[in-house]
Parts: sequence; C-alpha cells; structure tokens
Amino acid sequence: MKQRLLWTTLAAAALSLPTFAEEFAVGVQIPLTGAQARAGTGMYEGIQTAAELFNKGNAKHKIKLAVVDDESNPAKAVSAVEKLAAQGVVAFVGGFASNIIGPASDASNKLGLVYMTAGGVDNDLTRRGYKTFFRVNNTRGYEKAVVTLLGELGVKSVSVVYSTKEATADLAKDLEAALGPKGIKVSMHAFDPAITDFKPIINKIKLQDKPEVIFMSAYENDYVGIIRAAKVLKPEVKAVIGVWSLATAKMAKDFPDLMPNVYGTSMLPHPVEFKQAEGRLFAETYKRLFNKEPDYQAQFGYVKGQLLFEAIARSADAGTLKKGGLADELRKTNRDTLIGRVTFDASGDNPNFQQRIGQHQAGGKIVIVSPKNEASGVAVFPGLPW
Amino acid sequence: MAELILQALYSGLLNGGVYALMAIGLALSFGTMRVINLAHGELVLLAAYMAYVVESRLDLSPLAAIPLAMAVACAGSALVYLLVARIRKNRELNSLMLSFAIGIIITNAVLLIWSGDIHSTGSVSLQEAVQLGSLYSMRSELYGFLASLVLVTLLWQWLAKSWYGRAVRAVSSQRDAAKLMGINPAKTELISFLVAGLLAGCAGVALYSSSVIQPSLGHALTVKAFIITVLAGVGSVPGVLAASVLLGITEALTVTLWSSAVQELAGMLLFLLVLFVLPNGLFGAARRRA
Repeated sequence: MKQRLLWTTLAAAALSLPTFAEEFAVGVQIPLTGAQARAGTGMYEGIQTAAELFNKGNAKHKIKLAVVDDESNPAKAVSAVEKLAAQGVVAFVGGFASNIIGPASDASNKLGLVYMTAGGVDNDLTRRGYKTFFRVNNTRGYEKAVVTLLGELGVKSVSVVYSTKEATADLAKDLEAALGPKGIKVSMHAFDPAITDFKPIINKIKLQDKPEVIFMSAYENDYVGIIRAAKVLKPEVKAVIGVWSLATAKMAKDFPDLMPNVYGTSMLPHPVEFKQAEGRLFAETYKRLFNKEPDYQAQFGYVKGQLLFEAIARSADAGTLKKGGLADELRKTNRDTLIGRVTFDASGDNPNFQQRIGQHQAGGKIVIVSPKNEASGVAVFPGLPW
Repeated sequence: MAELILQALYSGLLNGGVYALMAIGLALSFGTMRVINLAHGELVLLAAYMAYVVESRLDLSPLAAIPLAMAVACAGSALVYLLVARIRKNRELNSLMLSFAIGIIITNAVLLIWSGDIHSTGSVSLQEAVQLGSLYSMRSELYGFLASLVLVTLLWQWLAKSWYGRAVRAVSSQRDAAKLMGINPAKTELISFLVAGLLAGCAGVALYSSSVIQPSLGHALTVKAFIITVLAGVGSVPGVLAASVLLGITEALTVTLWSSAVQELAGMLLFLLVLFVLPNGLFGAARRRA
C-alpha cells in the first residue's frame, strides 16, 4: 500500500513538473564597434527582438544568443566564428559588410554550420556555392528598386558615382547593365573609398555628363561628401539618389541641411508605420526592449533571425539538426516577412528580394515613394537638397 | 576642359592647405627628435571631435572650438613625448610601436565615447559655396587654406627668429652640440611636441569643418601626413607646404583627367617618383645641393 502511494505521488509529481524547452545556442558575429558599428548594432537589436518573440511563442524550443563583436574587422570576424563554434552554437546569424561576411562565412562553412545574413550583398558571396550560406537581401534587390524608381520618375540620364568597394561597385555595374537596354544614358564615376573631396567628380558631372539624376552607390561618409560637393557646384540635376544607410532618421537628424529631397533605399518610412499585425508586434517588442523606434537595419536583423530560429525548431522537431539538416530546412522557407516574400535558391540567395525607396521630406520625415504599390507618399520630383 | 582643370587646380590647392596643417606638426616632431609620431593623425582626429563636441553640445561654431582642440591635442602630444622620452634603447623603432599603440588607444577611446557614427559640421555658414570667378569652394575650405598659410608662415618665422625656434633647429641638427651650447634638449623637444599639438588642434578643426570624421580616420591621416613629411624633406617647413599642395593638386588632376578610383594611387606614385629622383625629398635635396 505504501509502495503504491509512493509511486502514485511520484507519477503525480512528474506530471505536474513544467516541461523544459530544448535550448539552442545561436552564434551572433556582428560589428558592435568599429566603422560598421551603427549598422551592426541595429541588426543585433533586430536579432534580439526575433529571439524574444520566438522564445515567447515557442514552448518546445528556446533560442539563446551568444554574441561576439567582430569590431568591423574580417580577421576578428573569423576568430569570432571559431570561438562561437567552440561554444557549441548550432548556427550563425549576423555579419555586416561583404568583405567581413565573406571570410566569416568561409569559416562557418568549413565548420559545417549554417551562416545566415542580411548585411552583405556582394554577388561573389553566393557564387561560392556554399550549401551553408543564406542571405535575405542582395544587390539584385537594390538594383531592381533603383531601376523601378528611375522608371517611375521617367529619368533618361544618370551619372553613377560609386565607391570601389565590392558591394557598391557590384551594384553600380549591375545598374549600368540594367539601365542601358532601357535607353537610359549612364555615366560611371568610380572613386577610391579614402577620398573626401568630391568636387572634381561633381564638376565633371556638371560640365560633361549633364545628367538628370546623380546616383550614389556608396556609404554614409561618402554621401555627405558627394552631396556637399554638389551643393557647392550645383549641377543642373533633378534628383540625388543613394542606396543603403541614407534614408534613415539618423541621417535626417545629423545632416538636416543635406538630406531634403534625397532618395535612399529603405524598407520603412519614418515615423515608423506597419500595416501588418506582425510588423506592429515587432515594433512594439523592439520599442519595449530598446526604448526607441526600429529602423530598417533592425528590421533586416529581425527577419534573418526569425527565419533561422524557425528553421532550427523545424529541424530539431525532425531530428535532423545535429545531422546537418538545418540548411535543408532553411531551403524549404517560403513565407511572407517584413521585407516581403523570402525563399532561398540553391546558392542560398533570396530571389524575391526587392528594396523600397524612401525620400527625405519636410519635417525630417522619410516617405516610401517607390515602388508605387508600396508607397506611403508621393515623390517630390524634381527635388534637390539645395 | 579648361574650366574642369582650373577647378581641379583650385580644389587641389585648397586641399593641399589642409594637408599641410595636418602634416606640419608631424614634420616638426620628426625633425626635432627623429621620432615618427604614429599617433599624430589620431591627435588631429581627437581635436576634430572637440570641434564636434563644441558644435553639438554648446551650439557654437566649430571655429569656437580652436582653443579647446589645441589644448587637448597639446596635452595628447605632450603625453606622447613624455612616454617616448622614457625609451632608453632603440628609440627609433620602439617609439614607432609605442606611438602606434597610443594611436590605437585614442581610436578606441573615441569609439567608446562618441560611437562609430560619422560626424561633420552642420554650420550653414561654413558649408556655404564661395565663388571666385568660375571657381567654387566651401567657405570652410577657404578658411582652412588661409589658416594653413598663416600658421606655416608663423612657424617658419618662429623657427628662424625666436630663441626657442633656433633651439629646436639646433637640437634637430646636433643634439649633443646643442646641449653644450646651453640648450636643454628635453625641454626643447617637449616644446616642439607642444607646438605640433597646437597645429594638430587647428588641423582637427579644419578637418571637421570641411570633411567627415569617424573614429577609424586617424590612421589614414597619419599616413598622409607621413607621406608629405618625407616628400617635403625632413625639417623643411616650406617643403611641407609645397609637398602638400603638390599632393593635393596631383590628386585633384588625377580625378579630373583620369579616374577618382586611382587618386590615392597617383599620390603614392608621386611619392615614389620624388623619392626616386630626390631621395632627401623636395627641399631636403635642394638644401644639400646648395
């Protein structure tokens, strides 16, 4: 009798115990200091938001993030990947800038671990044919966005000013190839990333090219130099267009005199406005965690983290996670996200990706103006910062 | 085409002025102590961040930051000197490593304090376009060039005519002999580092007023300043100005006549060419021939 009572008590105790979720460590190799710190920090915040929401919504699986700052340095990114692998992470998410993501994902591929990113758009990254490499955005998506905008504005000639860094040069050359057949005249001006005086280039554009639009495939510091030079020389153009890290609230706040009417790629308007419930949940969670509004870097970080964590859960359920099944699960991804539909092709690229274009408008607002079906406002065209 | 070339010459001239401001401090400390201060660019950058602080926190023009920038760069330069002066063995090589390490510390301190964001002046007045005939520039570039001319002239006069200036030249020329003549070499070297700090302070404000700053910029500034110092010929003040202007014009003409992608390469080719023809630099060789 006593023995039966003991067994019954033990059984009841076992049933009443909470079910412990299986925890998976995910390595985050990201620049939190150095030249790419701003973008890296935004991405990391997005990844943390994705982990927070995933852990809340999943009783069976939990994600634990293990982060190492790569200091915007390729060599340190490689050692970060190796260090995180030694800690037993099941995959990597993160990275910013193609020249850093390249060696870091080489290292993860050698270790046989999945590397998921949204920070490197260089075409060479997917040409390597790695089965473990995945990214949600690419040069093609930026190119499509710019081509769409130029078509919608009816532009007939463009001067492309581009940095000789990998991603920016790739985008400029792809754009040149895409615009030529559409009858748009393109003049190319490469510049060394170390230069700070853009007046000689802008003067060539002003006196020789005489285009309708100046397009900048560059980074923040270059944008400031180019627009400043253009403000001094005042070429007779109708618009100044850039790509990443330009249509941001930070740029509007830091350079209020340079940004008016300038276009840049952006998934989000400012102030942030989400139409879908998922977007609103992301924004609320992000605001609760970091006490600020999300930007598009955080949005990319969120999406890549979300897709990876979901695939980890599916792979764990299927019992393939420790047998290299995570890459196969990721390849099955086919869903709408905050950056549009995501699927992965054989090279790990997302062929559906297309950026949107935002324009700095009055009152420090960023309005999504292209593509028209996604627009939150109308483009000011012609419109210049001077 | 003529208009393009004229604008390139003008832009190169103005850029050369700012380059001279950045390089002259390094040339001075190199000339006096035979020590290459590899933290010089970081000191210029630190001064530039002082201009950013004064503008963003106090809502004043970056030009109002000149005294603070000079004080901070002077303090930094004096610290470099005091540490380098403690090196007893193999000073040339060990001072390189020491000043390089100081540069890394300054870069990371800047990063910690002001983050990795880019900064530049928001002053409308400094960014305003100034037109001289068909030539354009920002007002800040013109100010930077004029400041450079004035400071280089003052430094030249100081070195030629003041007691301390002559002491610096004496220590630079023959340290032991200078000591026998009653000059305190340590004090003189410290003074040259302090003057280098003052100039770095001005260079930092000029840089912030006309360009974009970020924490990783310091090393590139040191490299450019070093190239100019060697190009000029060690110890030559007018040589620094001439080399800076030559470099600025070469870069601008390269962009105009060829491509901006090879601008830095053109600067390095000029450097190699001058050293090949005149191994002591532009003015070093002239003096030796004389």
